[in-house]
Amino acid sequence: MRVGSMIRRSGVAIRGGQSIEEAAVIMERAGVGALAVVESGRLVGLVTDRDLVRRGLARGVAPDRPVAALMSTPVVSIDADLDVREAFALFRRTGGRRLPVVRNGAFVGMLTIDDLLINVAGELADLARPVTAEVVFGDHEPAPADSD
Amino acid sequence: MKANIGDRIVIRGHRVGEPDRDCEVIEIHGEDGSPPYLVRWGDSGHESLFFPGPDAELEHYDRAANGV
Repeated sequence: MRVGSMIRRSGVAIRGGQSIEEAAVIMERAGVGALAVVESGRLVGLVTDRDLVRRGLARGVAPDRPVAALMSTPVVSIDADLDVREAFALFRRTGGRRLPVVRNGAFVGMLTIDDLLINVAGELADLARPVTAEVVFGDHEPAPADSD
Repeated sequence: MKANIGDRIVIRGHRVGEPDRDCEVIEIHGEDGSPPYLVRWGDSGHESLFFPGPDAELEHYDRAANGV
């Protein structure tokens, strides 16, 4: 399974020169907790709602300052065409909850731990169904052909 | 997704009770109507790049019906 096929939510990106206030409003309007920061299509950083609070509001940074002042950079990203197991490994290594997804260096979307958990939960449910049926309803293996 | 300028994109809520979101396509940065799109969020006037996922639906703007 490829990383790109696991993305469940739309990605939103802004330029580093846009203001902190703009970033906050866009997060609220778009219903997202993180924005990719791009310049000429290339991913240059990541800013989260947590960054706006801890690096901005808590330190008295003016809301008209560029959001680039608060973003994380360089940012760990993952290629959309890699196997999803690479994403599991990156989440384990970085401890983050979101991974920007790129193709040829260009941002294409955001992968979250929630996306992967939902998929894993669905696969576990598929595996559990026949086992649960056997435990609840008993073994329905067909009788041998030569039995009466 | 293939959009035209003026189309509306609706992002469905991900949880029960979460409202839908919407934005207007004001520039198309991909080829032949493909993403990414520069969008404007509601009446805030704020703009961002948008990369539609499975939660996004496109509503085409009817230019003829709107006299454009």
